[in-house]
Amino acid sequence: MPATATSEPVVQVRNLSKKFCGHLRTSLWYGLRDIAAETWPRRHRPAAGLRRAEFWSLQDVSFELHRGEALAIIGANGAGKSTLLKLLNGLIKPDTGSIRLLGQVGALIELGVGLDPVLTGRENVFVRAALMGFSRAGIAPLLPAIIEFTGLGEAIDMPVQFYSSGMVSRLAYAVAAHLHPDILLVDEVLAVGDFDFQRKCINHMMSYLAAGGSLILVSHQPHHIQSICRRGVVLDKGRITFSGTATEALDYYFSQQLAALAAADSATGAGATLSEARPVAIEGVALAGQVAGTAVQVGDEVELTLTYQSFRARENAGWAFFIHTSDGHVCITGAYSPQPTMLLAGQHTLSCRLPNLPLTAGDYLVKTVIFEFESLQPLALWGWENSPTRLQIVDTASLATNAQKMVQQLITVPVTWP
Amino acid sequence: MKETIYTPYSPLQAPRAFGREILHDLRLVHHIGWQLFRRNLRVQIRQNLLGYFWMLLPPILTGLTWTYLGKNHIIQGYDATAGPYPAYVLAGLFIWQGFVEALNCPLQQLQSARGTIAKVKVPHEAFIVAGMGMVLFNQAIRMLILAAVLVWFHIPWHASLLLVPVGLGLLLVLGLALGWLLTPVSLLYADISSAVSMALGFWFLITPIVYTPPKAAAWLTVLNPVTPLLTTTRNWVLTGEMAPAAGFGLVAVMAVGLLGASWLVYRLARPHLIARL
Repeated sequence: MPATATSEPVVQVRNLSKKFCGHLRTSLWYGLRDIAAETWPRRHRPAAGLRRAEFWSLQDVSFELHRGEALAIIGANGAGKSTLLKLLNGLIKPDTGSIRLLGQVGALIELGVGLDPVLTGRENVFVRAALMGFSRAGIAPLLPAIIEFTGLGEAIDMPVQFYSSGMVSRLAYAVAAHLHPDILLVDEVLAVGDFDFQRKCINHMMSYLAAGGSLILVSHQPHHIQSICRRGVVLDKGRITFSGTATEALDYYFSQQLAALAAADSATGAGATLSEARPVAIEGVALAGQVAGTAVQVGDEVELTLTYQSFRARENAGWAFFIHTSDGHVCITGAYSPQPTMLLAGQHTLSCRLPNLPLTAGDYLVKTVIFEFESLQPLALWGWENSPTRLQIVDTASLATNAQKMVQQLITVPVTWP
Repeated sequence: MKETIYTPYSPLQAPRAFGREILHDLRLVHHIGWQLFRRNLRVQIRQNLLGYFWMLLPPILTGLTWTYLGKNHIIQGYDATAGPYPAYVLAGLFIWQGFVEALNCPLQQLQSARGTIAKVKVPHEAFIVAGMGMVLFNQAIRMLILAAVLVWFHIPWHASLLLVPVGLGLLLVLGLALGWLLTPVSLLYADISSAVSMALGFWFLITPIVYTPPKAAAWLTVLNPVTPLLTTTRNWVLTGEMAPAAGFGLVAVMAVGLLGASWLVYRLARPHLIARL
């Protein structure tokens, strides 16, 4: 089981900052100056401020990681996640702050790097292992297990240039998985693999953690993050803006993204003027349960109200709603209006009732669509190109609700037990 | 458990930790370098239909070209006391080629491994060791061809031949030291590698490789650090003259010192280079 937080942290990051220069020539010149400063340490005082054309890629980042823990680093592209992993891996130096690591660090970053396309998968196992500091003699006994893990079969004796990106990932991950570092840094490596490979990797990471390993995961896949990590931090423009459990961090990240989208929508005028070309617009979707406020109690009846604006009256319209997981990736349920509906000119509403909503406690997203009933061609969308409506389901804490959270259960169904 | 601390300060301010890091890397360098050398060799052979033949062909062709030029008296200023002209040219060229390959080795190796060194924590020295492995391999092939030439021209085998590896080794050290010193700047600015290939063309002409330079240009050859190492090694091959040329010892010591300094500078420059790769 994961070690307690009272043990000495294996990763200690204190007030870490790293700056880069956005202008190539200036960056090269700064590089020369930094190298000169490095070789003359008495005069070398690490610069705390920014020079011309520089920006902070990471600023004042602090966190700790203990044995057996997995930490998710969540953030948009350019938030500083890869810079943080490069610093932790010792590839680049901090500009301020410090990193203290206990034990051997292994990194799974861009898996195809270091593999030679002309050599076979089997030969590349030795090359890849060598790059990770393992001798041929050290890796030879592990070879059958590595080949088994790759699942590549006879393709292991094919040149790597004939591999797909997923096969390359399988090969590189299999090597790294058998070298057992104390701290493992993983940067979005599962995205290219198939479901079988992803399952294998997640199982490997879980057993690695159970054996006392520590893991830092950068991923955009909420499913991977929730499966592997208990803790998460959100990076935004180089700063940690949230730190908590992985689920909380994901929730924070997505709510920030939705807020940003909504702000962008209002800035660009989502409710722009209607015309023949844009005859219908959905202006809002509201959900109301028996409890006051925005939250809905588990099992409550919920009323879903869609407000639309139509350029002119239109017959033969249909509408539908879909309830998604908080990351927007999985549609849990949805329903289409069974009969054609008449859309009236101007602003009006459509509504339906959802008795005994079967969702478990958590955050969900609701997307809607108005479409031509016969052709199913959408006339207006809500939640695809703009922010969906947030549905929060609450429940009283109990052993059963905790168990639902642990297994990431989404719905409950009526069951008759014998 | 191994403790690693990364701070913004120069490693020279914590020399003990820096020394431990170097020792740790050195323990890895030989087997990573060996694996990379094997990989490079395999790739080179596998991608060519004629395999090892391409390693033999360039030195044979250069040797034949210069022999032809010498026989037709196109090249003037050759000192006939140094043995038959083809042997003189081949010995000079083969020794020079080792120096040039060693000089180009660090930049070539690290440029081709750019993608890897920017993403994987690996001692960069391993790529240079692998590259030097190829340099030694090529040099061994050239020396075998040279041995065949000695037999062909009935040049007697002297005891000084035993010293040839020392001379060759020192030239490789000098080439590697100069190449490695330029590598940090060359990885940042492409101008350096263009300038180096141009400078090597000029350097070839002021080094007594295919002819003995005229007395008017003697000052240039004296200042040229390759001259004492190359002429001494060639004498050990051809004439059996044991005494090293003037400046041999000084250049040897400087080469070894420069190699250490170049290595240190590269290690200090490494994180700044990776940040810009």
